[in-house]
Amino acid sequence: MVIVELQNVRKVYPLGKVEVEAVKGVSFSIEKGDFISIAGPSGSGKTTILNMIGCVDRPTAGTVLIADKATKDLTDKALTTLRHETLGFIFQSFNLIPVLNVRENIEFPLLLGKSRLQKKEKEEWIDYLIEEVGLSQWKNHRSNELSGGQRQRVAIARALVTKPSIVLADEPTANLDSVTGEQILELMKKINREMQTTFIFSTHDAKIVNIADHVIRLSDGLVTENLRKGEHVTASQVGLDTAEGGRV
Amino acid sequence: MEIAKLALRNLTRQKKRTLLLGGAVAFGLMIVTVINGFAAAFVKNVSENFANLAAGHVFVEGVEKSATGKEISIVHDDNAIMKAALEAKIPAKYITKRSSFQSTLLYAGKTAQLQVSGVDFASETFLPDRLVFKQGGIEGMDDRQGVIISEPIAKRLGVEPGDRILVQMKTYTGQQNVGEFAVAGITFDAGIFGNMSGYANKSYVNELLNLASDDYQAVGFYLPSLEGMDKYGADLRAALKEKVQVFEKNTATNENPIRAMMESSKKETWVGTKYRVFTLNDMLSQVQQIVNVLNTVSLIILIILFVIIMVGITNTFRIIMYERIREIGTMRSMGMQRGEVRNLFLFEALFLALGGAVAGLVLASIAMGIVSLVNFGLDTPLFIILKNGHMTFRVEFWRTLLDVVIVAVLTLLAAWLPAKNAAKLDPAVALRTAK
Repeated sequence: MVIVELQNVRKVYPLGKVEVEAVKGVSFSIEKGDFISIAGPSGSGKTTILNMIGCVDRPTAGTVLIADKATKDLTDKALTTLRHETLGFIFQSFNLIPVLNVRENIEFPLLLGKSRLQKKEKEEWIDYLIEEVGLSQWKNHRSNELSGGQRQRVAIARALVTKPSIVLADEPTANLDSVTGEQILELMKKINREMQTTFIFSTHDAKIVNIADHVIRLSDGLVTENLRKGEHVTASQVGLDTAEGGRV
Repeated sequence: MEIAKLALRNLTRQKKRTLLLGGAVAFGLMIVTVINGFAAAFVKNVSENFANLAAGHVFVEGVEKSATGKEISIVHDDNAIMKAALEAKIPAKYITKRSSFQSTLLYAGKTAQLQVSGVDFASETFLPDRLVFKQGGIEGMDDRQGVIISEPIAKRLGVEPGDRILVQMKTYTGQQNVGEFAVAGITFDAGIFGNMSGYANKSYVNELLNLASDDYQAVGFYLPSLEGMDKYGADLRAALKEKVQVFEKNTATNENPIRAMMESSKKETWVGTKYRVFTLNDMLSQVQQIVNVLNTVSLIILIILFVIIMVGITNTFRIIMYERIREIGTMRSMGMQRGEVRNLFLFEALFLALGGAVAGLVLASIAMGIVSLVNFGLDTPLFIILKNGHMTFRVEFWRTLLDVVIVAVLTLLAAWLPAKNAAKLDPAVALRTAK
């Protein structure tokens, strides 16, 4: 079942008096439950595509369909509701709210919009997520008291708390050491398997590419590779050098 | 409510900045509360002190018109007044019946002006308690020609208790007359009104005025408090009007009501005695104008202070928005609506205003408490605005609430634009902006 579809999507940014075309007519689709990596060098348009799938940005031309809804037709309010109900976000620099503790950070998205969970159900769900990401001992700590890996675990739990169909992760391991990065990836893969949540990564990280079951390679705002589940995908196939720490 | 909780926590991020902004709000409200507290107590103290000087809160003055058209102040028979007072249910603590004249005192070639009130000391038993003597005392009034004067008058004339001074005045019909007073007591300087007033025995004052010993010029009803004064005045006027001739009170103009009555009486003609009913508020309508000016000034100060503070708040919230731009992007990406982002900032501003307001009121209470502890004494020219030598303050609930609401509204207005800009931020732009 297709959950995300991009049809000839273009994105142009004004940069002073000139216009920069970050995405130049991209089309692909993502199946529900995919663990997909959008790979490519800096400036290739990964984050722009992720932002458009994440409904935080709109295409200049073309169509982005999220769960069969064309984002260009939606109002800001409807887009925000769609983000809240369908999407979860994991950021490179974690983006936790510093005045909230671990538990409160995870709970925060549930406080926005209409809650679909009863209070008891909500409490149990948050406890379950905290347990899943291994932060039971740290739930009352604020983000400045946590390591980078722990912060990213909080961000993962926060992204999952609304039970979204899609989680978007923008370079989730870029600020983590390799061991922690691997642990985080394993955690996300486990969640992907157990909850059937679609994970979409934008990444430089070869390790993510190696465990992804769908890889889209971008270059200069265009798709250069689109290798689907079942096909043999390795980092070297999509042009990523794994020789030193798995990074290009 | 969750947005409100987050807003409250956000205020703890930069404690120094919050304290500075809250402190500015507190300072502004403190100044305004102290001015308002002073203004409200000012009218009460002046009224109470003036009630003592004028000997009452509600007054009835008898006026006759002579053949030459001259107005004569006199009450021959007060039966109608006393009946009307009973009907109007005036809760008088004391009733004063006084005659008075404006005089020139002469002693050893020196002169001084004095408003002399003729008092029946046997019935006005409260008066000796209110006079603070520097020299001499009330016992000196056993001399029928005794007079109590203030210290500045005594100094100007160079007199001491026991000295006899000449008094020049006019009889009630306007004839020049001369008498002699014996200085019985010298009181402390009691402010500008007290300085000009002196007390003598009514029987001797009546003699000098050429009035019969039972006659007098005005009756004053001393009420238990200032409250209800105007109502009792109106009730007494209505009751008296059914018995005798009474001057109408013109309430249509902003002019002093007593002056308005006097002006209209000049144009009128009548036979016998016609009565003026007036209250202390009518006498002090100009004091109320001063209070109105003080209230307006405090409101202007509040607005000027807060316009300055608003500039600070607007700039600070702009900085806050910039500092939290990533966070705004994150919250928007998680599903926070634009209105919720705006409310988050507005709640912060509201809490800042309310916290500052509470602190301002506490500081104002402390400041007013300290000032009210200072004893200025009873012999100060400030006497008329003091209560027993102390400056007092009266914080009125509704006025204070209005000030707090003004502070809150102005603070919200100051934060409105940055909050609106934060809400309008494109989440993608916010997320990719590096601080």
